[in-house]
Amino acid sequence: MIDLLHQQVSALVDQGWLPDMFQYPFVTYALIAALLTGPLLGALGTLVVVKRLAFFSEAVGHGALTGIAIGILLGEPATQPIAGLFSFCLSFALLLHWVKSRTQVPYDALVGVFLAFAIALGAALLLYVAKKVNVHILENVLFGSILTVTPTDLLILAVITFTSLLLALRYANQALMAALQPEMARVQGVGGRRVNVTLLDYAFVLLIALITVAAVKIIGAVLVGALLLIPATTARLISKDLKQFFSLTLLISTSCCVAGVVLPMALELPIPSGAAIVLLASGLFLSIVLLNQLKLLKTA
Amino acid sequence: MGPAITLKQFSLTIGDNTLLKPFDLTLAAGKLHLLTGPNGAGKSSLLKSILGLMPHSGEVTLHWPSVPEEKETHAGLIIPAYIPQLATFDATLPMTIEDYLYASTQSRAFFRKKTPAQQLQLNQLMQQVGLADKAQRKLGQLSGGERQRLLFARALAQNSSFWLLDEPMTGLDQQAQQQIESMILRLKKHGCTLIMVHHDHDFVRRHADNVVVINGGLEAWGSPEKIYGLPRITVDLSAPAYSTVEPPATTRAASVQQPISQQFTAAEGAAL
Repeated sequence: MIDLLHQQVSALVDQGWLPDMFQYPFVTYALIAALLTGPLLGALGTLVVVKRLAFFSEAVGHGALTGIAIGILLGEPATQPIAGLFSFCLSFALLLHWVKSRTQVPYDALVGVFLAFAIALGAALLLYVAKKVNVHILENVLFGSILTVTPTDLLILAVITFTSLLLALRYANQALMAALQPEMARVQGVGGRRVNVTLLDYAFVLLIALITVAAVKIIGAVLVGALLLIPATTARLISKDLKQFFSLTLLISTSCCVAGVVLPMALELPIPSGAAIVLLASGLFLSIVLLNQLKLLKTA
Repeated sequence: MGPAITLKQFSLTIGDNTLLKPFDLTLAAGKLHLLTGPNGAGKSSLLKSILGLMPHSGEVTLHWPSVPEEKETHAGLIIPAYIPQLATFDATLPMTIEDYLYASTQSRAFFRKKTPAQQLQLNQLMQQVGLADKAQRKLGQLSGGERQRLLFARALAQNSSFWLLDEPMTGLDQQAQQQIESMILRLKKHGCTLIMVHHDHDFVRRHADNVVVINGGLEAWGSPEKIYGLPRITVDLSAPAYSTVEPPATTRAASVQQPISQQFTAAEGAAL
C-alpha cells in the first residue's frame, strides 16, 4: 500500500505537481510519518499541558538515551533499538509515576531526580556502546533522521495513531476532566460514566512511552518531549475555547512536522528533521508571544 | 428523595494519627445535615470518607427510599453530587463555561460537534444556575460565586438526590453566598439529602434540619435548637430532632421522581 502511495506521489512529481525531491521513496515515507506524528503528538500534547506534565514528558524523552544504550548493548541494531527504547521509557515512566503516588516529595523534584539518574546511566552506558558501534549513528535516533524511516515504521506509527484516535473518541472527556479535577472526576464521574483516575494516569504514561518510540525516527527521542509541549503551549496563547485549543494544537504540530521534514531538504540545509521541527515550533511560539506583547503595548 | 446514611463504628486513622474516633450515626433521608466543628476537626475528612475518597474503618451505608432494598449500596458505588471546598480551575486554560459543562457532563468527545440535544441540555443547565449569558466566558475570568454555580451545574447534571458540600460558601461575597444558599434550599425543597460542612451559625439556625458537631469524633448531634439552645429564626420545624432514625420503610416503594436537574427551572436560575 505504501509503495502504491509512493507511485502516486511519483506520478505527481512527473506531472510537475510536486518538487523533484519526492521522487525518492524515503521522502514520501518521511512525509507520511510527519503527517501521522504531528496529530498524534499534538493531541497528546494538549493533555500534557492540561496535566502540567511537560517536565515529565521531557524526562521520558531524555530517558530514551539510556534505553537506546541498553538496546544496543543487548544486541539490537544501532539504528533501531526499539525494544530497549520502549522497555526503558515505559519502566522509567511507570516507576516515576508509582513513586509519585507513594511519596511526599514534590513532583517536579521527583522528576528531576529521575531525569538526572536516567541521563547519568545513559552517559555511563554510552562508553560501552562506543566500543560496539559508531556513536554518531545514535544521533539519528536521538535527534531524528528522515533517511531511516521504513514502511514497517510507518505501519507501527499508523497503528499507534489510529489506536490513540479511537481511545480519544471514547475517553477524551474522562482524561481531560481527570486531569483538571481528579478528585471530582473520581467522585462524580464524567458524562454519566465512572472514571478510574488511576487507570487513566497509567494509560497516559503508557501512551507517552509508546509515542516516544513511535516518533523517534522523525523527531528523535530527545526532542519528542518538546513537540508534546510547544504546539499545545502555543495554541493555548491564542485559543478562545477548548475546541479551538485542540484543533490549533493539531494544526501547529502537524504543520511543524511536515515543514520540518520538507524545508531542510528543499533548502538543502544539513539539519536533522527533529531539530528542524522543534526549531520551527519554538519560532512560532516566540512569534506569538511577541505579537501578544505588541498587542498589549498597543492597548496600554 | 435522597438516601438516608448510616455510619457504623466509623473511624478514620491516617498513619498513627486518629482523625476520627469510632462512632455510629444515622442521617435521615431528604434533610439538610450540617457538619460543624473547629478547623482540623475532621469534617472534610468525614465527607471525603463518605464519598469513598479516603480509606476508613467501619461501614457507610446508603438507604434509598425510592429504589428497591437490594439496590442499597456503599457510597463508593453510586454517583453522588459533590461540591468541594475551593475547587481549583486552571485559570490560563482556554476553556469556557460551556466547554467545561460539555466535557464533564457528556460522553461525546469534547472536540466533536455537539448534537442539538446536547446543546439544549447544556443551555438548560446554564440557565438553571444563572450562567446562560456567560456561556463563552473562560474559567479564569469567573468570580468565586460563578465558579461555585458552575460546579452546581455540573453536579445537577448527575441527577443525584444525594449531595455533599464542603464549605461551598467560603470566600464568597454576600451576594454570591445568597445565590449558593438559594440553590441549596432548592435542592432541599426537592427532597435531596444534603450533607454540608459549614460554619455560619445563622445559616444553620435558619435552614439545617440536623447539626453534627465533629471534633476528633462525634461530639454532639441534634436539631439546631438542641445544639445551640436557641430557637430557629424561620418557621421550619417539620424536620424531626436528630435521633438514630431508621430510613422510613414506607417510602421505599415511592414512585421514581422526576430527575433533580429537571426540577430546577430556568426561572429559578434567572433569579440568581
